[in-house]
Amino acid sequence: MSDQSKYQQQKQQWETDVDKTTQRFPERKEDFVTSSDIPVERIYTPEDASSVYSYEENLGFPGQYPYTRGIQPTMYRSRYWTMRQYAGFGSAEETNKRFRYLLEQGQTGLSVAFDLPTQIGYDSDDPMAEGEVGKVGVAIDSLKDMEQLFDQIPLDKVSTSMTINAPASILLCMYIAVGEKQGVPMEKLTGTIQNDILKEYIARGTYIFPPKPSMRLITNIFGYCQTNVPKFNTISISGYHIREAGSTAVQEVAFTIANGMAYVDAAIESGLEVDQFAPRLAFFFNAHNQFFEEVAKYRAARRIWAKIMKEHYKAENPKSWKLRFHTQTGGSTLTAQQPDNNIVRVTLQALAAVMGGTQSLHTNSRDEALALPTEDSARIALRTQQIIANESGVADTIDPLGGSYYVESLTDKIEEEVNDYLERIKKLGGAVQAVEDGYMQREIHQSAYEAQKRIESKEDIIVGMNDFRIDEEINPDLLRVDEALEARQIEQTKNIRETRDQQLVEDCLLNLKQAAQNANENLMPYILEAVKAYATVGEIANVLREEFGEYTGM
Amino acid sequence: MKKQIRALIAKPGLDGHDRGALIIAQALRDHGMEVIYTGLRQSPIQIAQAAIQEDVDVVGLSSLSGAHKSLFPKVVQALKDKGAEDIPVIGGGVIPAEDIAYLEEQGVAKIFTSGTPTEAIANYIEKLVDPDAGLITSPEKIAHIGIAVKQLEATLPFYQDVLGLKLENVEEIASEQVRVAFLKIGETRLELLEPISEESPIQKHIDKRGEGIHHIALEVDDIHERLAQYRESGVALIHETPKTGAHNSQIAFLHPKAGNGVLYELCQHSEKE
Repeated sequence: MSDQSKYQQQKQQWETDVDKTTQRFPERKEDFVTSSDIPVERIYTPEDASSVYSYEENLGFPGQYPYTRGIQPTMYRSRYWTMRQYAGFGSAEETNKRFRYLLEQGQTGLSVAFDLPTQIGYDSDDPMAEGEVGKVGVAIDSLKDMEQLFDQIPLDKVSTSMTINAPASILLCMYIAVGEKQGVPMEKLTGTIQNDILKEYIARGTYIFPPKPSMRLITNIFGYCQTNVPKFNTISISGYHIREAGSTAVQEVAFTIANGMAYVDAAIESGLEVDQFAPRLAFFFNAHNQFFEEVAKYRAARRIWAKIMKEHYKAENPKSWKLRFHTQTGGSTLTAQQPDNNIVRVTLQALAAVMGGTQSLHTNSRDEALALPTEDSARIALRTQQIIANESGVADTIDPLGGSYYVESLTDKIEEEVNDYLERIKKLGGAVQAVEDGYMQREIHQSAYEAQKRIESKEDIIVGMNDFRIDEEINPDLLRVDEALEARQIEQTKNIRETRDQQLVEDCLLNLKQAAQNANENLMPYILEAVKAYATVGEIANVLREEFGEYTGM
Repeated sequence: MKKQIRALIAKPGLDGHDRGALIIAQALRDHGMEVIYTGLRQSPIQIAQAAIQEDVDVVGLSSLSGAHKSLFPKVVQALKDKGAEDIPVIGGGVIPAEDIAYLEEQGVAKIFTSGTPTEAIANYIEKLVDPDAGLITSPEKIAHIGIAVKQLEATLPFYQDVLGLKLENVEEIASEQVRVAFLKIGETRLELLEPISEESPIQKHIDKRGEGIHHIALEVDDIHERLAQYRESGVALIHETPKTGAHNSQIAFLHPKAGNGVLYELCQHSEKE
């Protein structure tokens, strides 16, 4: 008798015994399922973990294809993940202070949050920017603001992640220009730009241009950076916001990978070789509360991407096969009620990300359901990671949950369901088409609405929100953005416009306009010249708006 | 038939987080409302225009970017400027508690914070749009005060001879295992309740607390609707649906914890006496 059928037989016998018990003491629910509606069995046995039996093909060793167990051979035994807290609010000056504080506290990389006008290509004095300046991130209008943002922060020593999408090329050029002023050549700059426009249409909303010219800007960045800024991650293909918008774990991975394939297709179509740009593609995932599903999700995502890059795109450089990812804990899982409970949620989520082999991690602050984090809350969030790293011992061996019957089974199941979605999206004509048709948006909304109904019917319990409530006044100390900031920022930008070489700016913008009209021209050098002349984000974006048009939603 | 409520759900400013707005829109649709969603990046003036063009009964704003203090009042103002200040504006999103009073001062009718069930928002809108629908009105009067006694015959002389009340009738209510006597006083009555078996709730009351006041009955003319309304307000009910009481009236008891230890009965008479 084979081992597997032996387990099967024993399990059947055991189930019969259990049935007697459950008749007297029924289980809590009739059906247990994960967030993605994957059934959860009472127990898992070796027969459920079939991957283990074709170990080399499905799991491999860390640093080996298909990277299920991790992308580096030693993982956290050599170096912990990068602790990278997303921060930014108000003015460049204030954010610079918060950055330097976080670096002093042992943070190892920077992550810039920009305000919405910057993310959508409006200057602070644009009427569309009213009320939004400096609210969800730092306001950047011209190179001057960027210089202040990185004042006394040596760009050859830190890596910087920038959550910027539609105007990613402009902000990256500003970063390059700041580096130049500090004497750091662009070849040495390290960091990541998010640059993932597809998920903006799907879930996050900071788009400017229609999909086609947006894809051109992205491939322009790929092409330019490959030779000039080779250590920079040119895109961070993001499932984070898809999950925040209400998707399941499976949808998060499926839509992210579908988007990733669309970028690879676009880059190849623009004439790049897959191994030229694929090693610089990075990913960004969420970490929610269902611990095992999350761990399995990261493992499955690595295996799926590796197979796609090697088998479908025929990439030959192993670096092209590796799915490197950043993780942020789930903002939408946090409650406004009893906000200190959020520290515990964040701990569980962060632990899942670490068990899942993340390359870098942002832990949310307890007060994020209420406002931007205060300094105290941001410190506790960072300490949470430091405790996991230094005190729990989970980082001492690689992929500690690998081989768990349950986790292996879930990993296989997620891979299977993600592949089903990829097949469906392929039939719809690929991710860009699926986004334009609103397919992913509808799928996500349906999941979000069902989750909401489960919360309202108390099928899903959210501690402190729909159960275990207390009478409380929800009014902790919150970070407020100074309302006078908007006026100050507008003043500074006016000042720049008056003191810069106006003729130079106009020449640069005209050159950019002409380059934009030629689809074969890479726009990066033109944008770099313009930012160096102190042309503003809004001015540059407006030139492109004129040429490319604006996306207006579904 | 009731008029269908039309609601405009709008995202003012540049914030792209529309999960909440979309969920509210769908929940209101599921409550039978007609919902128009503006999509992202709407200026206060665009929102006011849409509200007027679509002839909506209410505007719901959602913002998670911190721009609510500047943008929500502007929507209220834009409606006023266009002579549509009768369209109420409500809002939600990531709104710190300390901003709520300010926004309400600025004319926003109500702010719903994170964690509010969609049901509560739908009910609020229904009441906001049609103040008479489901409005809490007081019961008509005290129908009677129920008094538990061990034996009717032993108690009646006090009420009849000493207080001089008129005995209206005595009847047996099998469902409650009691015999009751009604004595009229002004526009209301006293109801004396005598247990006729050990299973009677009145017997249990007497065993536990002795004789004395047992319950207060409130006269209502819409017992089904009221039960639904109380249930919605989170009041625990002993009877989810009305049952038949004395004089063929429809009755239902609220749980005494709702009235801090006082047992209330709702009572709807079959026909006005």
